[in-house]
Order: sequence, then C-alpha cells, then structure tokens
Amino acid sequence: MEKGKSESIPGTIISTQNGHLLVSSGIASLDVVLGGGFPVGTVTLIEEDFRGIYSKVILKYFLAEGLSTKHSVLIASQDVNPANIIKELPAVIESDPEPEVPSKGQDDSNQMKIAFRYQNISSTLKDPSVKHIGHHYDLSKSISLSDIENSDILYWNGQTIQSGVHSFINPAYSDLLKSIKDKIKEEKLFLKDNPEKKTILRIAIHSLGSPMWLPHRKSIHSMDSSSQDLNMFIFCLRALVRSAHAVAVITVPSYLYDEDSLERCIHSSDISMRLQSFTGTELEMNQSLQDYHGFFYLTKLAAINSLASRHPGSMEHVFKLRRKKFVIELLHLPPDIGEDNETKKDKVPSLGCGGNNKHLLEF
Amino acid sequence: MISLSDPRISNPVLSSLKIKNEDKIIFIKENAFADSNFIITHLLKQFFYEKSRVCFLTLHNTLDHYQNVGKKLGYDLKQAINRNNVKIIDPLVKIIESIGSEVEDNFQTHMLKSLFLSIKEEIELFCSLKDQPIYLIIDDISHFLDLSIELSQIISFINYCVNLTSNANMFVVINAHVGSKPDHIIAKSVQHICDVFVEVSQLKTGKSTDVTGLMTVQRGDNMDSFHYRAFDRGVKTFHPGETIHNLYK
Repeated sequence: MEKGKSESIPGTIISTQNGHLLVSSGIASLDVVLGGGFPVGTVTLIEEDFRGIYSKVILKYFLAEGLSTKHSVLIASQDVNPANIIKELPAVIESDPEPEVPSKGQDDSNQMKIAFRYQNISSTLKDPSVKHIGHHYDLSKSISLSDIENSDILYWNGQTIQSGVHSFINPAYSDLLKSIKDKIKEEKLFLKDNPEKKTILRIAIHSLGSPMWLPHRKSIHSMDSSSQDLNMFIFCLRALVRSAHAVAVITVPSYLYDEDSLERCIHSSDISMRLQSFTGTELEMNQSLQDYHGFFYLTKLAAINSLASRHPGSMEHVFKLRRKKFVIELLHLPPDIGEDNETKKDKVPSLGCGGNNKHLLEF
Repeated sequence: MISLSDPRISNPVLSSLKIKNEDKIIFIKENAFADSNFIITHLLKQFFYEKSRVCFLTLHNTLDHYQNVGKKLGYDLKQAINRNNVKIIDPLVKIIESIGSEVEDNFQTHMLKSLFLSIKEEIELFCSLKDQPIYLIIDDISHFLDLSIELSQIISFINYCVNLTSNANMFVVINAHVGSKPDHIIAKSVQHICDVFVEVSQLKTGKSTDVTGLMTVQRGDNMDSFHYRAFDRGVKTFHPGETIHNLYK
C-alpha cells in the first residue's frame, strides 16, 4: 500500500488522513461511515440480519461497484447460486436516484424559533473531507447481460471440492481459500508482483458458515469444530488479502451461533458491522422508527497504519431500503410531545364510576 | 539519573506504564472490542531509546502497519531492521504459502516448534553480539488458537518463551486478545507469571468520542487505572475523572 505506485488503479482513492488506498462500497452513506470506503487489503465482516435481506443488498452494491470500475470479482456462496447474485446486481445510473429533498413547507411555516440552531443539521450523513468515488445505482433495475459478460468474474459454489488432507475439517473452506489464492496469483495481484496494469480483486462471500457449509460426512456433531474452521478461515483470508491488492467482504449469519463464538472472527477481521432489522421484532410497530428498516451497528473499525480508529463514536445509525436505493442515516428520534397526543387520542372511554378521571358519560 | 529526553518522562503512555529494567515479563491483555496495539508501538519507542534489540513475532498486524505508526511516534522500524537491531518473524507468509497444499498430520505442532526454534536462533545471535537488553514481542498469541493449535501446546510454547528470560538480558512482551473461553485460559496463565500486567478494555458504557478506553496497569499489589484517548499522532492518558481537564487544556 505505497502511495506513489497505486495512483493508477481505477476505482480507488488515497485517503488523505492515513494514506490508505480505499475502494468504494457502492453505497455513498456507508462510505462516509467508514471514512471513505473499504481500505484495500482488509477483511470486512457483516453480521447478517435475521433474514439476510439487507446484508445481501450491501454485498450486491459492493459487487456492482466492482463491475463498474472494472475490478476483478470473486463471488462465493453455498446457499444460493453465485451466478444468480450477479444477475440481480443493480444497474449503474448517472445521478442519485432518490436525492434527499427537504420536505415542502419546511422553509417557511416550519421554521424553528427556539431550537433554531438544529435547523442546519441534516439527518443524512455528509462529510466534506470524504470525496465520493463510487457510482450511483438503481436497485429497481438489474445490470445488463453484456456488462456481466465483459467482466472478470469467478464463481465459487463449492460443488467441485477436491479431497485431500488439509488443516481445515471442512474441505470447502480450504478449497475456497485455494481458489482465492489461485485467482490472486493468476491476476498477479500480490503486492510483490508489481505488474503493469494493476487492478483490485473484490472478494464477496455470502452467508459464510451457514448450515450449508457443514462437512458432508459428519453432520451436526461437528458444529463446534466447524466454528473453529470459521475462525481459521477468516484469519487465513486476512493474511492472504493483506499481501495482495484485494479486499474481502463476508456476510455471516451470526444468529446461528452463540453470542461469543463470533468474537474471534471479529478480532481477525478489520471492519465489522451488524445489521438488525425491525421485521419480526416489537420495534416494527414503533412510531418513531417507522421510516427505517433496522439498526446499523459499526462494531469494529480497526486502526490500520495509525493509532486512532476513525470510528464515529457513540452515534446510532439506522438503515432503510427504498425502492431504488439503500441508505444509512443517523438516528434522530422525534420529540416526545408528538407521541403523547397519540396516546391520548387512543384512550378508549370506559364505563364505571369512581376514579379521578372525568368520565365521558358523566354530566 | 533519568534525562528529560527519556520517553518514559515525555510520553504520556510510557510514563503511565513505568516499565523498568526489572520487569522481565510484560503481559498485555486486550479485552473484546478494545485495541491494545498502541502499547506495543509505544513500548518499541522506549526499547529503541534504550538501544535494546527486538525479536518481533507478528501475527496480527503487518510490518507496514508498525512502520507507519512508528514514523508517527518518531522511530524508523525498517531502518532498525536494516541495522540488525530488529528481527521480524512473520508466520503469515508461511501460512499463505501453505494454502492449497496438502499438510502432514502434525502440521500445527511442527509450526510452533519451528517458530520457537527460529526465535531461539535469533536471540542466541543477538546475545553473542552485544551486552544489551533483548526483547521478544509476541503480537497476539491468541491467534494460534485460530490456527486450531491445541491449548496445551500454546501454553507450552509460552513456557518455552518465558524460560528464555533466565538470561539476564532477556525480556518478553506478550499480547493476547480475550474474547472466547480458550482465550481466557491463555490470558490467565500468562497473567499468573507476569511481572507487569496491562489490561486494555473499552468503556463499559460503549463508544465515546472523548475517551477511547480504559487501561489498567498492575504491578504486584499496586494497581493504576487510566483513561486514554487515541489521536492520529499519539495517545493521551489521564486518570478517570480528569478527562475534560486534560483534553481541552
């Protein structure tokens, strides 16, 4: 990750803060939270939401950004056919599909008189120091077939696993690692290689460690040792990615595991985030959260090449999936007064005498 | 007599750690979601000032990372390597090489054995050259667990490393991340034998922009707690409660 050499790689930018080579995640608001994008040579772990819908959207943005910047792409999944994920990628468009427009009337009648200073604070994430390098995508349209054909994509679905003695119990993990290593070697992406035309390898692994990743011969009984495999896989992947022009994003269905067992994976990865969707929880009915689809937690943002992490601190983030766009925003709760009126309205008059409240039937 | 240019006086982290020449085994415990890497990078600054030599086993961060942070703290690691004052042992290179190739049955045992032998070789070489302190730094011993090496073997590896300190010039710094249950066993066993115990944790109340985390330094019965805040170019430490005063003065 030296400064001078890497300027020529398309789709990358050098961070002004720590000299990191960054690639965009494809989502403008996520780039801002991460301080510009994913640093090249890192592993990002995404803990999936309960149904894995939104984590898949982030993964698709990451891949789509890779295709539109002509990066090499490797997609791996055992749950779904990786070719299907590629087919569903969002299409590139010229401008922001759903830009943030201030709602009507906010200018005149809604002007704040007492807390007027808050008026200038917008809920969308903006950081003038972060230059946006990604493209805009439209989630309602999918990528054209010719774009897919012209791109360098390697699919891995775990169907052709060679047997042999490996340090992993589950042969799928070692096979995937080998495929990634071969791909890096083939494209000459190791840092020491120094080829003429440089590019980045984007590695996307969908639902790593899901039940589909269990070894065939020993079923459920080896769940314990397979979680050790998961730790080892992420540790080896990180070692591999650090030594190459590559960046990896992994989604893990964390709700299938014990609370602590993912802790080692998080330690071995450089960035980790967790998505918690409101669907199926009591938060779904919450009035003040109705605009959003879930919480976004940035659980780890490692300090690489510097002493201080660029973690935004105690901020709470929420995400929403609109028709054409996925956004991450700061959570702003409305004032408590609004809800009070609601509850009063809902109060059902009840029959009976006594009590302090003046009854509707009383006269 | 300590001069004013001594980083133990001028640097806030090192002045809170107060590492002395009699501290043979230094153990840094990194609790979940905290980052204790700054302690090693700061200790390196002190070691270079004392003209010590360092044998560095890197499992978590790369040499590039240490070089970049070192530049910010005022030392040049790569220059020190060229001058043969620092020896980096990087097992990650071997791990990458072994990906895809078939392994023998006792791959993990062999790995630890060969690692220790190369450490021992380097240290014996250092010993024969000059009569100056030698530090063995292990950045993150708990990663051996990720390589599915058995707990008993890791403990015996630690035992071998610690036994090197029977040489008067030899010191050991071990960093361990603690999250899962086997991590705790490793941490407890090293804590039991160490002279200085440093614990880095995140704040119980969650993330904060003013304070990055809590650092506890324990030497015998004596325990000191500090809050610290990491900046791009250094780390400030202060006693809990002094935070606001220190940050804005």
